Amino acid sequence: MSMEEEVLRELKEAFGDKIFEHKIQKMRVYVKVPIDSYSDVIKYLVLSKGMYHLETITGIEVKDGIEIMAHLGTGLCISVRTTIGKETPKAPSICDLIPGAEFYEREIHELLGVVFEAHPNLKRFVLPDDWPEGVYPLRRSFESKHNAPLREGFE
Amino acid sequence: MSTFDVPIGPMHPALPEPLLLKLELEGETVVGVDFDVSYMHRGIEKLLETKTYFQGLPLVERICGICNAAHGLCYTLNVEKLYDKEIPPRAQYLRLVVEELSRIHSHLLWLGIAAFEIGFNTMFMYTWRDREAVMDMLEAITGNRVTTEYSQIGGVRRDIPPNLADKLLKTMDIVEERTKYYVKVALTERTIAKRTQGVGYLSPEEAKATCAVGPVLRASGVKNDIRADDPYAAHSDVPFNVITYDTCDVFARIVVRAQELFECVNMIRTALKNLPEGPYRVKLPMKPNAGEALTRVEAPRGELFHYTLSEGALKPYRYKVRTPTLANLGALRAMLTSKGRYVVNIGDVPISYGSIDPCICCTARVHFVDLKKGKSWVWTIDELRERSKRGRLLP
Repeated sequence: MSMEEEVLRELKEAFGDKIFEHKIQKMRVYVKVPIDSYSDVIKYLVLSKGMYHLETITGIEVKDGIEIMAHLGTGLCISVRTTIGKETPKAPSICDLIPGAEFYEREIHELLGVVFEAHPNLKRFVLPDDWPEGVYPLRRSFESKHNAPLREGFE
Repeated sequence: MSTFDVPIGPMHPALPEPLLLKLELEGETVVGVDFDVSYMHRGIEKLLETKTYFQGLPLVERICGICNAAHGLCYTLNVEKLYDKEIPPRAQYLRLVVEELSRIHSHLLWLGIAAFEIGFNTMFMYTWRDREAVMDMLEAITGNRVTTEYSQIGGVRRDIPPNLADKLLKTMDIVEERTKYYVKVALTERTIAKRTQGVGYLSPEEAKATCAVGPVLRASGVKNDIRADDPYAAHSDVPFNVITYDTCDVFARIVVRAQELFECVNMIRTALKNLPEGPYRVKLPMKPNAGEALTRVEAPRGELFHYTLSEGALKPYRYKVRTPTLANLGALRAMLTSKGRYVVNIGDVPISYGSIDPCICCTARVHFVDLKKGKSWVWTIDELRERSKRGRLLP
């Protein structure tokens, strides 16, 4: 049994049918979990499997909502993904488990509008200070062609 | 004692790039720090969704000027995973050569900047002089000094002919000899030791907790290198040592980077000696298969992360980039807010900041400035094209 299958088997043993989708590539394991077990799975990986290193968190707008995906591990990379609703996207913060998650969650908060609950410092990070509230540039509805005026006042 | 805030940046002589460091000081010691990296946002992730895979490569190379080889390599490796096609081994070896060459030039550049930050200008001049030899080799191999665009989807752009390989090996001898001298200077010179030992301390626990990457993590004694943990290109065939050092301070970061130069030199030698015969590029179709791919590459500054989600169309559905400097920002904060014995004086801020080898341009790449006040107007890209055809950008 390969290393990837081994990890997936252990995850399935610990969480059963909570892991409702999975995919294996070379040195990569993707598992999909419901939102309420997202932080539990990460907690299990960090505390029981010693996967202290968080690569990053990816946020993607998919058809039925917003997907957030935490990539853990130094060699073998386990990606824990979950989908949340588009209207009021909320997800638990994993900063208490992995302090390094802070900047990644702040980035997703700004670019996709996901609110990470119990995040220590969810303020503006990557967007300019005068960026309008409630405009999330990585959403599909945001038109990337609209560029800023080079100078104000020209019509 | 009451505290006061000192903003440094976004444009400041001590910082090479636009970062705003908001320092909270108690007397002369730093007790808190906050960052603002939003001065260089270019919206590259969003822009990549509007480009085909082949058009995206030049854009990705421009995320960072200095680690462009790593970005280009990571992008091409990532996109190639979406095809079911074997990439020729010769291409993988040539990629490794250029990747390691660019690591040498980046580390020499950093050694110079670090020396400059502590007022050791002679070393700054020396390292930058030697870096020129490496830049000349990069130019000879790829045709360009900085933005090399060597790695392409399906292979590499040019071959390295035997005469160029000989020249490269000779340059490696020079680099090795000079690096020996720098390591000697770094380890024995009192000025460097006094200025860097015990400065910018980052404990291994904190380095792990803040998810630091690259030389910063290795200088805290954590053995972690993606070239060893998850080999890509030809790294599984070319052996090397993962350099670590355990004093966890700026001094350790100098030693780790200097020692890594020897590893780079040896890897280039091994790769050139064992260079497989065969083609160096295969043609791949414009449209990759649907699926997702995740690739990590050890850039000079640390682990670089690319992820793409493909729907089988010409363009990626989502392209995510995480650059090493973003991962090291948490480590920088931990360094600057050390307590007790390793408390940071304001004079140590530039070298502590410099020691993560920051590249804010890679970090802040996510957005356009879009002013929505007063009279705003919008040009679509087609309008812009139309106007540039007429030779008049302003009405």
